[in-house]
Amino acid sequence: MSVVQKAGQSSKWYLPGIVTGLGITLKHMIKNIVSKKQMVTLNYPEEKYEYSSRFKGNHILTVKKDGNIRCTACMLCATNCPAECIKITADENPDPKVEKFPIAYEIDILRCVFCGFCEEACPVDAIRLGPEWQTPGLSGTNFTYDINHLAYRPSLKGGIQSHVDDEERHKEGI
Amino acid sequence: MPKCTINGKEVEVKDGQTIMEAFYKTEEPIAHYCYHPGLSVAGVCRLCICDIEGNPRPQIACNTVVTEGMKVTNKSEKIKDGVKWVLDFHLINHPLDCPICDQAGECGLQEQYMEFGKYDPEMAEHKVKKHKVVDLGPTVVLDSERCVLCSRCVRFTDEVSKTSELGIFNRGDRSEIGTVEGKKLDNKYSLNTVDICPVGALTSKDFRFRQRVWYLKDSETVCNGCSTGCNVKVYFNKEGFFRVKPVYNEKVNGHWMCDEGRDIYKFLNKDARFTTGIVRQNGAQTEMAPGALAKELHKEIKAKKDQVAMVLTGQYTVEEYEAMVSSMVKEFGVTKIYHWVNNKESFDSFDGLLLRGDKNPNTKGLLQVLEKHQIKGVWGDLEAGLKNKSIKTLIVAGPENKAVFDNLESYVKLFSQAEHLVWLGAAKVDSLLSLNNKVSIVPLKTFVEKEGTFVNAAGLEQKFKRATTVVHEALTLTETAILMSGKNLTVPMAQIEKPAFLENKRRQDQVMLENRKKNEFVFKRGSL
Amino acid sequence: METKLLTEFYHLDEFRFLEGYKKHGGYVNLAKALKMQPQAIIDEVKASGLRGRGGAGFSTGMKWSFLPKNNEPRYLVCNADEGEPGTFKDRLMMERAPHQLIEGMIISAFAVGSKKSYIYVRGEYYYPVEVLEQAVQEAYKAGLLGKNILGSGFDHDMDVYRGAGAYICGEETGLISSLEGQKGQPKLKPPFPAVKGYLQKPTIVNNVETLAAVKYIIRDGGAAYKKFGTEKSPGTKLFSLSGNVRKPGNYEVNLGYSLNDLINNEGGGMKPGRKLKAVIPGGSSAPVLTAEEAMKATLDYECLAQMGTMLGSGAVIVIDDSQCMVDMLGVLMHFYHHESCGQCTPCREGTGWLNKIVHSILEGKGRLQDIDLLVKVADNMKGRTICALSDAAALPVLSFVTKFRDEFEFYVREGRSKVRGSFYAQMHH
Repeated sequence: MSVVQKAGQSSKWYLPGIVTGLGITLKHMIKNIVSKKQMVTLNYPEEKYEYSSRFKGNHILTVKKDGNIRCTACMLCATNCPAECIKITADENPDPKVEKFPIAYEIDILRCVFCGFCEEACPVDAIRLGPEWQTPGLSGTNFTYDINHLAYRPSLKGGIQSHVDDEERHKEGI
Repeated sequence: MPKCTINGKEVEVKDGQTIMEAFYKTEEPIAHYCYHPGLSVAGVCRLCICDIEGNPRPQIACNTVVTEGMKVTNKSEKIKDGVKWVLDFHLINHPLDCPICDQAGECGLQEQYMEFGKYDPEMAEHKVKKHKVVDLGPTVVLDSERCVLCSRCVRFTDEVSKTSELGIFNRGDRSEIGTVEGKKLDNKYSLNTVDICPVGALTSKDFRFRQRVWYLKDSETVCNGCSTGCNVKVYFNKEGFFRVKPVYNEKVNGHWMCDEGRDIYKFLNKDARFTTGIVRQNGAQTEMAPGALAKELHKEIKAKKDQVAMVLTGQYTVEEYEAMVSSMVKEFGVTKIYHWVNNKESFDSFDGLLLRGDKNPNTKGLLQVLEKHQIKGVWGDLEAGLKNKSIKTLIVAGPENKAVFDNLESYVKLFSQAEHLVWLGAAKVDSLLSLNNKVSIVPLKTFVEKEGTFVNAAGLEQKFKRATTVVHEALTLTETAILMSGKNLTVPMAQIEKPAFLENKRRQDQVMLENRKKNEFVFKRGSL
Repeated sequence: METKLLTEFYHLDEFRFLEGYKKHGGYVNLAKALKMQPQAIIDEVKASGLRGRGGAGFSTGMKWSFLPKNNEPRYLVCNADEGEPGTFKDRLMMERAPHQLIEGMIISAFAVGSKKSYIYVRGEYYYPVEVLEQAVQEAYKAGLLGKNILGSGFDHDMDVYRGAGAYICGEETGLISSLEGQKGQPKLKPPFPAVKGYLQKPTIVNNVETLAAVKYIIRDGGAAYKKFGTEKSPGTKLFSLSGNVRKPGNYEVNLGYSLNDLINNEGGGMKPGRKLKAVIPGGSSAPVLTAEEAMKATLDYECLAQMGTMLGSGAVIVIDDSQCMVDMLGVLMHFYHHESCGQCTPCREGTGWLNKIVHSILEGKGRLQDIDLLVKVADNMKGRTICALSDAAALPVLSFVTKFRDEFEFYVREGRSKVRGSFYAQMHH
């Protein structure tokens, strides 16, 4: 619905408005020159903003104590994903205690809406949304993250270990 | 014919029938794991308890014969509580590995838990550990921890396949399903044990971990693996077909199907198919739209109709045969039409349960159509005609399921004697692409991509409907026939109003089907 | 006072052999019975009011008359799979008087028209099997078994079959499964064994004591037998007295005998300085009686049923105040967990669950709600299975927990037994 404002007498006097606006700009300019602390913008990319550690950025696949991927390929994340950006291919693990594991786990990060439902759906703490978010790429293929990138990219320093202890789980009879 | 009342619904059953069968008849839901309509009664899961008026103790429905005037209910609070407890007994030692269990989504325990359970478990002690991932045989894997010892699989091997490979070993809560040492679960019907397993204890090696079941759609059709024509369900999604399961039909297959038939999904997927029309001439290969290719054949057939012959396998529908044969006979006057029988020696064999030697679903239908058009092609004539070059153009409607045509290669060699081989078929036959004579390949649709009728070995006509489309460019034999006779595909295909085999009302194996739909994974924040 | 009817000559070694047995009136009654009409024998047994001595106490004559009246082959099976903890009367009967059983069996087989009978002996009973086999051989040699017994035209064969040692094979359908060579698991009823039993043919399964008693009914007549015992529970019965008494052993008394008398007269009373705490009157699966209840109880089917327990196989287990009831229940639950055949879910999983709960209490890890959980689990196992093993496991739990709840609560709270020096406490603390 559009609101039509009738041009009143006062609106013809635009000059005072311009002067007020320029005044505000001038005030901020002087403030930024005098005190850098009050500046609201950053000199990106030289300066970077520190986000909260709970920030939901790029996904991480956690690993077990032995360094293998925690994921059991149950596909609950893929089922739950509203953007349908997760694709998992499962296979039989030679270790009967593990039984099922993903041989391919792909996230199309361009489709991802970072809702965190995958993290919520995961029964074994295998996927988390990490704090990383600055991940530019040069072509479309750079944005389909494969299993190695998700679990072992250099910034993770060998993988994030999951809280869930397998030994404990098996002892409890799960 | 005693009458009884099931949850207030009056029903009349045959003499000697049990309360369970009365429940099936009224379609009232009743939980059960060990009872299976195709097997003997074991009465061990104790989940089908119900109240009979005048009887202080709850009785199991599967082993109590209906008597006149019996009033049965399983809706009372006492029974509901009882069922909840029996379910709890099932679950106390059942591992919580639903995420990696292949049965999740179609599991009896999950269904019952959503129906009767939804409680916090009171079991604080450790669960019993048993063997996991036991290799039972070439087709089946067992997880003993998930097993609820309903003994359906054991009874199946005892009573249906009569091979008795499986047994329950040990005692009490240490019981496990297993095979005798050195013996494997290896029979032609072994995968039925996976179907009847109400939990994820028995899983098929072929389907294991390939898809979660909630990603799959299903559609009923008729198996084209052999001339028995079992009613089956194919499971598929956009990635392709994944498995085949039997559907109950009293007249044809009962509750079962063979392991061979379960492989039919493999040739339906794109990678096993011709996807475009191909013309090979003088070693050069060109791809063409299938429709255009079929239309181009019109001129050639018309020009040399005396030198044209046709070979048909029994793998197409009656409607297609009718369209093709009548167009050949009426449009072109081609009467050299031959029936390709590949395994003459074992053609009439039958193993007594389901498997037949005739690996074509519609041999009877083909013979009926040929008889109607008074075509009496003898295979020897074809061979002679190819040898003395009186047959120059040979149109072959090849097999969809080429796995059952063992000596396909030698036949291709025989057909390649013709100057121009027109191959109509769905299955990718690589040897066709290395022949020296002219070869035109028109990709066809498989039986799940079209509707039609198969006539099985017993002469029963079974109509089926289309499930999905895998190769969009492919034609049906009817469409090929229309295009080859120079017409355009303007007329839509006749709609089948009522598929005949769907009419006979099936008893559902699990009556809880409604709950299955209800329990489909729906995300609700905080409620799951 | 003991009433020695069956056990009259048990003290004589020669009674074990055919010679000695015949000296004391052996096989006279067989000759008498073979001259009677089979129906007359059944009527006589019915008139005697003899009830099954195996545990359920079902009328024997009634059981026999359930057989279909046709010429189908039928079987008689003697249930000598005496597995109930606390019971050892059948062993004595087989060891001391095998011919008494064989004679009773031939008479019964003649009455029901069976040409083949089996004695299914418990797997652990090596010696009784030896004695029985030797006795059967003797009987065959003397023409008491085989073709044309004592010139009557009645043919009968008898086999001794040894089980593989499973409690569940004492249940009649489980016994039949085992006899058929299958896994010893009870079968669904109906059909009952009297209609479809061994090899799908009509089968009668009777306890050793029941079959042996048939001989005395033939000797004295049903009416004379009925004079023993009470109106509804006629006859004498062997009681296996065990536990904390001075003179444990088998005692044959009239049914209706006072439990107090059995413990204090026959059993010689409690050990010095000990007080009676509880009595299990009918084998381990019978609910327990407290000392006060036990003093009032008489040993017959009706009185004990009224008190919420049962006569069972007649195994009287006496418990004095040195015993811990939690400990006792732990032993019982271990037994039933071990012996559950694993067929029906409530029993398979329930026995294991009960065992785990009781043992977690014994290990000092119990929670107060575990006591209620025991009752709930037992309640839901009761009457939900094919055979009575589930009940047999559930009933002791219910009676132990309700009647001795204070001991359980003490154990959970303190992590140790209320009775100092109990078995489990000695082992683990």
